[in-house]
Amino acid sequence: MATTKSDRRSTAYKTAFYVFMVVSVIITLFPFVWMLSTSFKSPGEIFTKQPTILPQLWTLNGYKNLFAAVNMWLHLCNSVIYAVSITALSVLFNAMAAYAFAKLRFPGREKLFALLLVTMMVPGQVTMLPVFLILKSLGLLNSYAGLVLPGSAAVFAIFMIRQFMMEIPEEILEAARIDGFSEFAIFWRIMLPLCRPIIATLTVFSFIGAWNDFLWPLIIMLREDKYTLPVALASINGQYNTDWGLLMAGAVVVVLPAVLIFLMAQKHYIKGIAAGAVKG
Amino acid sequence: MSTIFKNTGFYAGKILAIGVLLCIFRAPACAEREQLTVWAMGAEGKLIRQAAEIFEKRNPGVKIVTQAIPWTGAHEKLVTAVVGDMAPDISQMGTTWMPEFRAMNAIEPLNGFLHSSKLDTGDFFPGARESNLYREEWYGLPWYVDTRVMFYRTDLAARAGYKKFPADWEGFYKFSKALLRAKDGGYAFALPTNDWQIFLMFYWQNGGELLNGSPLTAGRFEETIAYLKRFFDENLAPLEGGNDTDLLTAFESGYFPAFISGPWMISQLETSKPQLNGRWATAPLPAGKKRASFMGGCNFVMFKSSPRKALAWKFMEFMADPEMQAKWYDISGDLPASRKAWSAPALSENPRLASFRKELDTAKAPPQAPEWENIAGTINDAVEEAVFGRVTAQAAREKLSARIEKILAKSERQQSAAFKIALSLLLFLVPVSAVVLYLRKGPRALRRSKYQPIAFLFLLPAVLILAVFLFIPIVASFIASMTNWNMYGVNDWSKIVFVGLENYAGLFGDPVFLAGLRNTLVFAFIGVPISVALSLAMALALNARILRAKAFFRVAYFIPVITTMVAVAIIWRWLYNPEFGLFNLALGYLGLPAQSWLSNRWLALPSLILMAVWKGFGYNTIIFVAALQSIPDSLYESIALDGANTRQEFWYITLPMLRNTAFFVIVMTTIGYLQFFAEPYIMTGGGPLNSTMSVVLYMYQQGFKFYNLGYASAMAYILFGLIFAFTTLQFRVQKKLEGTF
Repeated sequence: MATTKSDRRSTAYKTAFYVFMVVSVIITLFPFVWMLSTSFKSPGEIFTKQPTILPQLWTLNGYKNLFAAVNMWLHLCNSVIYAVSITALSVLFNAMAAYAFAKLRFPGREKLFALLLVTMMVPGQVTMLPVFLILKSLGLLNSYAGLVLPGSAAVFAIFMIRQFMMEIPEEILEAARIDGFSEFAIFWRIMLPLCRPIIATLTVFSFIGAWNDFLWPLIIMLREDKYTLPVALASINGQYNTDWGLLMAGAVVVVLPAVLIFLMAQKHYIKGIAAGAVKG
Repeated sequence: MSTIFKNTGFYAGKILAIGVLLCIFRAPACAEREQLTVWAMGAEGKLIRQAAEIFEKRNPGVKIVTQAIPWTGAHEKLVTAVVGDMAPDISQMGTTWMPEFRAMNAIEPLNGFLHSSKLDTGDFFPGARESNLYREEWYGLPWYVDTRVMFYRTDLAARAGYKKFPADWEGFYKFSKALLRAKDGGYAFALPTNDWQIFLMFYWQNGGELLNGSPLTAGRFEETIAYLKRFFDENLAPLEGGNDTDLLTAFESGYFPAFISGPWMISQLETSKPQLNGRWATAPLPAGKKRASFMGGCNFVMFKSSPRKALAWKFMEFMADPEMQAKWYDISGDLPASRKAWSAPALSENPRLASFRKELDTAKAPPQAPEWENIAGTINDAVEEAVFGRVTAQAAREKLSARIEKILAKSERQQSAAFKIALSLLLFLVPVSAVVLYLRKGPRALRRSKYQPIAFLFLLPAVLILAVFLFIPIVASFIASMTNWNMYGVNDWSKIVFVGLENYAGLFGDPVFLAGLRNTLVFAFIGVPISVALSLAMALALNARILRAKAFFRVAYFIPVITTMVAVAIIWRWLYNPEFGLFNLALGYLGLPAQSWLSNRWLALPSLILMAVWKGFGYNTIIFVAALQSIPDSLYESIALDGANTRQEFWYITLPMLRNTAFFVIVMTTIGYLQFFAEPYIMTGGGPLNSTMSVVLYMYQQGFKFYNLGYASAMAYILFGLIFAFTTLQFRVQKKLEGTF
């Protein structure tokens, strides 16, 4: 087999590239893998001089204790309802608003957008108590509406989708308008499909944000049977005493659905949808 | 196109269904049956069910609903429950939170109930009584107590020639010297530089007093500092290295052969370090002029809003009874607050508990000031400055006394309700009308025929929600920033008084805030460029044509974003561990001295930046990956025909096509980094010497720990001004660059 010089060079380049990728993956994955393996360790093995990847003695006690301590299915159900409804609403509402800001003409468009950006600069922590008081005056404390509504529109998401939509050529929309599409049809049938990668990204962000949310579900919902998974898991820990095996088992149970959602979403990073549309 | 249409239809159906669900599933506000609701935190919240069952058996017809509240967030949950009229009948309450909830006028005084009760309050330990009594009135009943003792390695002590633990200060100092000589490396005693509880124990032992006439006792404070400083100066305890050690492992290796902790540590050592059994023991703290340990634990309180106070009292009385107190020890392992309960064999005959029993008689609770949490924070700062030798002990005491007096100073200002309402309305109308004017003003460039009124339909849901749940709260917190809104006003708005710009003026004289501001700027200036550049590089790598298994790599880079912070914190603590961490191992190979990454005041902030970049870059990477998909291949094809190489492709196609996304990422990352919070909150708490304190962390402490909501809001608006300036600058720069691509 005769290999040319440039072939050899590209092989060397390829190898270096893969070495780099693999090393960076080890760096990013290590804590996750450690969390996974620790959930199968016995307490004596958890705090050692060097973090170990594999347990010496595999145990399911962390998971057994976890499932004995909380009603896992109930809290999982609560979490799914919360995260899915917040994700669905926020994707729809934010994408709609982003479309208006990116592609529709109305008076005060730039100014309204600038105003929204400004609101994002106020740290969220100071508005928490006022939001709580507003929900109280609306009678929405201890209700799903109170839980979901405040998070179902986000300036950050509008900003993100708008930036993406601005890249989509105007000609596509003009062509559709000439074909007699209504603005809603253009939004549903052209813009959303074209924005699939960014919509997928937003879905992941919204879902994970709601899924990991702790303080808000805790203070809005009154009863223990309405606790979401992170709240229920946190309520097992003592003030000073922590059962690390159980804690890590809980962390794994919380993280896995988030990973799953990301796996599903990343399929939508498909090259060339927009490109194809331009040609068509 | 048709399958996509079907999909969207499916989604629309789902969204509709969820909307309907939202309307139907309004959880009922309260159940109809008469029952007693009891909140307890964490493990106690689950175990209290067993006590409730005994009570239910003795009182047929009564149903106790117990609820476990997570310790993280328990304080917020209790405060919002009071504000939102959702408080239970009874709740567990940490002893240091009592004064605060009393100040909020949320808890019921109990003397009336006690008069007609057989309960002997003299049976409780004095320290447990202190936290419930305020001006002769009882506000709660002790539930369980804990106190601090010394944990030490008996084998290492024996090697140093000690069979018994020393009984007094001087003895302990000599013991520490001998201990250090008897082993290689490490220290003699884990003495934190910023733990007010530990400092107070030594201060009390030395005869010092707190908030009794004057804030501190002159002389006693200085002597205590001098005693403790000797441990740091003579390397018996690490001046740097408190934040980054894992106590259990350090105890095992002998790095820290002695430390002060509470009863929970017994079971933790037994389960996590079984190999150490028989090589450690507990001992009462070495005494100074007298004995004094710290009295912790929890009480039960009854909320004023409870409609079933007689029944609530019955349950509280039941839990405080000596017999039940001993029983509760069997259930939970919590130490009884009742002295009689300690005669039970399970307690009196347990050798591990003897040191705790000895300390409990003289253990002291911190003063009953509602502002205590705030004062405790200033004690940490003062002690740290003094042991680091930045100020003399006397100067530290004088400064601390002044700060405590300032915190305790109560404003006597009165304002009429009408004045306050009028001023609030005015302050509300100013920003609102400014916004309306801003939106209306300016040239109307478009002709009417060009408007698309349907745009407002698209905007409606998001803008409505943002107006109610973002805009109005922002204006409200802006008004709050000009008031003295604190814990007295949380539940009683008549106590709120307008103070003008006092909060803002105060902030610029607040050294902690100024340190936070400086650190936040450093954090953003270093962190943002690194984070954005890394994200872009990784996104380009993920998009490379030669890369296989793209899905795997994408997930791998995103994993840090979704990995639970607790696990991340443990691993990074390991990496930064001064004794055996990976970073110090690497320095060792290079022949460089080991560092205290999280406890050195120059290294702590960069260490946190590194961790934040690691945790966050995947977020932006994914946004860049999504944006890269939208670049048409035809562009690359055409430039390839012109004979361009990869680098030219990047500069002439990729980068210009990413500009909108890159702009978004830069703006968002800057905002995010200026609101830096999670890493210092979890890893360092802002220390050492406030070198990792950030604006948002300080705001969180002032707002949610000390309930100085007006002060915290003012901080938010100073930070807002900063972020606004940066973002405006970024928009200007973007406009300028627009033409260059």
